[in-house]
Amino acid sequence: MTRTILHADLDAFYASVEVLDDPSLRGKPVIVGGDRGTRGVVMAASYEARKFGVHSAMPIRTAVSLCPTGVFLPGHPDRYRDLSAQVMRIFASYTPLVEPISLDEAFLDVTASREVFGDGETIGRALKQRVLDEAGLVVSVGVAPNKLCAKVASDLRKPDALVVVPPGEEATFLAPLPVSRLWGVGPQSRQALADYGVTTIGQLAVLPDGTLRRRFGSHGHDLALRARGIDPAPVVPWQAPKSIGHELTFERDVDDPARLEATLLDLAESVASRLRNHHMAAGAVQLKLRYEGFETLTRQMRVPLQTRESEPIYAAGVALLRKTLVRDRAVRLIGLTAIHLTDVQQLTLFDAPDKTDRITRSIDAVRERFGEKAITRARLVGHRDRRRFGFGEKPELPPDADP
Amino acid sequence: MVVKDEVGMNVSVMQENLARGLGVVGRAVSSRATLPVLANVLLKTENAGLKLTATNLEIGINCWVPGKVTDEGEITVPAKLLTELVSSLPNQRIDLQFSAKDRTLKVTCGGSRSSIKGIEADEFPVVAAIGDTPITSADSRTLREALGEVVFAAASDESRPILTGVLTRLAGDRMTLAAADNYRIAVRGLALASPVSPEITIVVPARSYAELMRIMPDAEEPIEITVTPNKSQILFHVNGIDLVSRLIEGQFPNYEPVIPTGHTSRAVLDREAFLAGARRASIFARDSANIVKIEIGGEAAEGVSITAHAADIGDAADALEASIDGQPTSIAFNARYLIDVLSNLGAEQAALELSGPLAPGVIRGVDKDDYVHVIMPVRTAS
Repeated sequence: MTRTILHADLDAFYASVEVLDDPSLRGKPVIVGGDRGTRGVVMAASYEARKFGVHSAMPIRTAVSLCPTGVFLPGHPDRYRDLSAQVMRIFASYTPLVEPISLDEAFLDVTASREVFGDGETIGRALKQRVLDEAGLVVSVGVAPNKLCAKVASDLRKPDALVVVPPGEEATFLAPLPVSRLWGVGPQSRQALADYGVTTIGQLAVLPDGTLRRRFGSHGHDLALRARGIDPAPVVPWQAPKSIGHELTFERDVDDPARLEATLLDLAESVASRLRNHHMAAGAVQLKLRYEGFETLTRQMRVPLQTRESEPIYAAGVALLRKTLVRDRAVRLIGLTAIHLTDVQQLTLFDAPDKTDRITRSIDAVRERFGEKAITRARLVGHRDRRRFGFGEKPELPPDADP
Repeated sequence: MVVKDEVGMNVSVMQENLARGLGVVGRAVSSRATLPVLANVLLKTENAGLKLTATNLEIGINCWVPGKVTDEGEITVPAKLLTELVSSLPNQRIDLQFSAKDRTLKVTCGGSRSSIKGIEADEFPVVAAIGDTPITSADSRTLREALGEVVFAAASDESRPILTGVLTRLAGDRMTLAAADNYRIAVRGLALASPVSPEITIVVPARSYAELMRIMPDAEEPIEITVTPNKSQILFHVNGIDLVSRLIEGQFPNYEPVIPTGHTSRAVLDREAFLAGARRASIFARDSANIVKIEIGGEAAEGVSITAHAADIGDAADALEASIDGQPTSIAFNARYLIDVLSNLGAEQAALELSGPLAPGVIRGVDKDDYVHVIMPVRTAS
């Protein structure tokens, strides 16, 4: 059966939210990312700002020189997250198959919903109206038989677009467009294709398979399929993870409790950081110990309150370790898992709300930019063991990464 | 006063009185004492009766048991052993005799004779008694009710020791009690019989107040209050019982700024019905971080709705009758905090005052302006 896939993309999302919350900004070039004079990068620019050549990922400094009259704002991540959740709920009212790509875009597989809500175009139109009425935001929608064409379609006539690619017309739809519109065609591929005289997707589609395969390897085959508008990738709804854990197998068995505790701190940091990425909090912590000879135990305990900070997770891990560890038995593997996950956060009365939050956010930001090992606790220096990744977890796919 | 080395102590009491006294001081006996003598109860003849004392160094309790003193003296014996023995005896006269020579307490009741090895009284820590000049007093029933409305809100984990205590302020003719665990705070005021000046502000362990509640009579009797001049202990005296508690050092957080001064939505509900609704919702909230959502107005336009949702289990929704004012709003709380305050609030009608989903929620008793309870909401994704 022909599928009907929607790609919905909020137009200039962060900038539009700022305008929504402060109507005096309407019609002005709004640039979200930081105040003038800060060293950040542009996270979003209103269409008025884009006319000056301002675009995402550009240093604020450059944006200021391009658009001196612009309104520069640091942004409101929590507000974006709340509005994004509201929009995603509207999407979810049309189909359970919603795959969020970021805060402001998602794929919807509405194949089975056509019976109820009408064809893809009707659903797309209804969706746009509801997002405007209920969230005050403009969303561009592409409707197509697959994700690839839906994505290209939504982007084609932004803002406020509704572009439909009827079944069977995928290749015709793509043919006149530049190859750079295709997934997986970056500047290098574009240059390589230009060497063959290929600049449009249509030209790429008629290039012999063998040529592409010789030049691009297995990637070439994918390119050929995409150029013909073929994309079998399913819409995969995001599911909240049930647990988030890390474990480490030592190269040599360890019986030094101090070293085990230091390892737990390292594991707790990773677990907490992933909890924050997922906007989840843990209600309990599970410790896994494998002794020499493969005897494995798990023990768990609740933490006083749902947390996404490393300290309470580490404290629970250490408490479990001290209760569990048999003296003089060497440990081969140690693991720490956050369980009883929820997406809620208990607010507090007395904590200066953002102090630890700011520190952990900064740490997360450094790690995201420079890698896991870029920043660590003094206690862990020289103690960090090599970690084995990929422990019982689906690949990371947060519904909404922090901007 | 006659003290004979050979005899030590000789006193007669009624079994019922001794059993009750041992029950009262038993709450202060250390179950896992590092000092062996702390597992003991001190028996001492005083004021023509028998004074029982136990302490775990956090609290100490003295309890006077009426009796007939033949010889003055004192001894400590294991509290558990003596309590079990006494409670097994018939309600008759018990003779307690202590022989200093072999440090043994002889317990005689009818045909039953036992002897218990003791530890000398001078190894027992001194537990202060209130003396003749308390600094003020309060009504026992009112203080008991006030403690009931406050003590449960104190923190139970020791990560911030100051929050395991109850802020206690004696100022003029008012006593103010406040307890908080960083997610909620309860504040209650009550009258004192005589003014205190200059004002005294101390932090009393919540556990001590919990013990005080157990031994206080639910009657309109004065309970005397004293704070030692160096502000290291607080003492209460009521009905022939002293309770002494150590205090927690440190600065209690300044809570006044976090108590909302206004609201945008208000609902008045029957407290029992509100509590029952919260309990029902919490059954479904167990697997979802115990979160219940409350809506004032909105879809439940006529009143208040409490809902809980568990992904794999189901949901519950309770529509409650309420008189509502202001804008429709909703908020999510940890159900436990809601149940705690509603089950302890001494009022028939509860008022819920909100200022939006992420602002602190306030619960008060209607026509009860001496109590306020604040619960911090939970931020949910939906």
